[in-house]
Amino acid sequence: MNNILFLILRRLRRPLIVIILSFAIAIVGLTLMPGVDDKGNPWHMSVFQAFYVISYTATTIGFGEIPYPYSHAQRLWLTMSIYLTVIPWFYALGKIITLLQDTALRQAMTTERFAKSVRLIQEPFYILCSYGESASVLAKALDDKGIRVVVIESMQERLTELELTDTNNVIPSLCADAKLPDTLVHAGVHHPLCSGVVTLTDNDQVNLAVAVAVKLMNPDLPVLARAEREDIAANMASFGTDHIINPYVLFGEQLAVRVHAIGTYILHEWLTDVPGDTLPPPECPPMGRWIVCGYGRFGKSVVKNLEREHMTTTIVEAMPELTGCENCIVGSGTEAKTLIEAGVHDAVGIIAGTDNDINNLSIVMTAYELNPKLFVIVRKNGRHNNALFKKFDANITMQPHDIIAHECLAHMISPLLAQFLALARNQSNAWANALVSHLVSVVGEAVPETWAVTINSKNASAVAAFIQQNRGVTLLNLTQDPANRQKYLPVVPLMLLRNNEPWLLPAESTFLNEGDQILFCGKPMAKSTQPRLLNSHKDLTYIVDGVEVPDSLIWRWLKS
Amino acid sequence: MNLEKVIFGFFIVLAMTLNYGFFLGEIDNPDHHHVYELYAAIVVSLIATVLKFGDRTQVGAVLLSTSLAADLQLIAAAILWAIMGGSMDEASLMVYIVSLSGGALMANFVSVILLISETISQRR
Repeated sequence: MNNILFLILRRLRRPLIVIILSFAIAIVGLTLMPGVDDKGNPWHMSVFQAFYVISYTATTIGFGEIPYPYSHAQRLWLTMSIYLTVIPWFYALGKIITLLQDTALRQAMTTERFAKSVRLIQEPFYILCSYGESASVLAKALDDKGIRVVVIESMQERLTELELTDTNNVIPSLCADAKLPDTLVHAGVHHPLCSGVVTLTDNDQVNLAVAVAVKLMNPDLPVLARAEREDIAANMASFGTDHIINPYVLFGEQLAVRVHAIGTYILHEWLTDVPGDTLPPPECPPMGRWIVCGYGRFGKSVVKNLEREHMTTTIVEAMPELTGCENCIVGSGTEAKTLIEAGVHDAVGIIAGTDNDINNLSIVMTAYELNPKLFVIVRKNGRHNNALFKKFDANITMQPHDIIAHECLAHMISPLLAQFLALARNQSNAWANALVSHLVSVVGEAVPETWAVTINSKNASAVAAFIQQNRGVTLLNLTQDPANRQKYLPVVPLMLLRNNEPWLLPAESTFLNEGDQILFCGKPMAKSTQPRLLNSHKDLTYIVDGVEVPDSLIWRWLKS
Repeated sequence: MNLEKVIFGFFIVLAMTLNYGFFLGEIDNPDHHHVYELYAAIVVSLIATVLKFGDRTQVGAVLLSTSLAADLQLIAAAILWAIMGGSMDEASLMVYIVSLSGGALMANFVSVILLISETISQRR
């Protein structure tokens, strides 16, 4: 703010001096002009009176001739004073107004206001370095989960969209280039509560620049970056970018997971979705021969993963020499001839994975007419064609921004969740199915909240005190209802991390140790109730021993 | 030689000399202190203040603050004169006004010293 004040003062130097000089001349002149008072005596205006008269004259307020009617000499001087002072006055006003509309100054002021609102944040927050399609989904999900977000975006229209959305918390936003280190500093890279930077622009170079800048400025800060090209991803990994997200690779992997372990897939989607939503039952892709239209980054990832699941693929590609694809059928796939050539009649599924939405829809519509039993996967690029994709209702619609947002959420909600999901992927499908049905029976159909608890004197003072007194607290105790210990909260402990060793689905009779980290999944109500158990000695004693401890001094004295 | 520097130095020195001129004389004798001299001192002091706006150096900041101190006391003296003039003993009123302008003189004096020291330190 200091700099802005000085900028204003410096620009106003000339108008202010012009005003002072014109006022000075007019005031002196007015005091020198001979006048006559009401009794006919000669009279001169005092400096103060003259200042008063000139002040209301220059500002065009014009109270009239005060205190006595003026003499000719005074009127003559005042006439001249009007022209002398009114014009500089408007000149200065004009200057001030121009200055307030000056784009550089306004930019400086918005930046300053943004930096200030970031400085004032008192909770952990994430910096989003774009507000595109995936970032807007992510911002909404984080906001719903009560995690604070700061947004930098270079396009004003997208920020206008952000301003119009309804959020729980204020989301400070700035229209600026995230590549500039200054912008990142304003957004709070050095803020002690900043818990990470997420850069999801669709330009790999920008993401790379942001990741480098953040890692140089604050090496401990986790960085999640989107990278679609492999060389850029390798470059990011080389300087320690924590999570590199490639939507195409992710989708390919998810497709493979769907094929062999639908339960694991549901678990992943469910735990990383926005709380309160219900998931549609996912469909399992059939085994057999698939047709893949488009062999770009998306197509390559899909083909690789399908082949790993022992399925055969037929590739249809319009420009085989550009994409480096051997033995494929040349054509775009939008016309029936190419599709028949690719064997659409005896294929089990088709994947329309070009980067053109209309072509993708055309491919799947043609294929569907030729073979209505096909399992259809279609890639959606822009969000503007939402209505069309909804109308077509493919078995799976691949939306890059949703995939990115889910993946980011898994890392951002809690590092434990990401670890849990990674471990869950290695478990069998039956294990995942059992877990999902257990979760549904405890927390219901709606997407649950997921949170982590650390057992130490700072985050769970009551539990830590119990452990120090060698009074055992089991995991089961943390799921009991503090209002009635016979009842249980709708919450499931998913993972226990002790000495960096993870236990999936720990037994409820496990005794807690200090330093344990536990990942819970449950209804929002359980998330808000559990801190009472963790921190209130009275509630925990009731849960563990079934005894109500007297709180006040008198009751304690009476009891003893 | 730089015209801007000449004007800058001129106004700062003029602010001090006018202030001194008003201050000079017996402190309780109204005949020794003319109202126009105080008026001129205020106007020149205000111009000097505006000229110092926007200089972000350390010396610039101190120069601006001395000017603001001088303005404050001179304007306080002028307000006192405008309000109390005629309603109180002229000699004792003059004592207040002149002593206020004496304070402003000190501030202007510091301002000039700063100007001189900065000029000397440039060694050109």
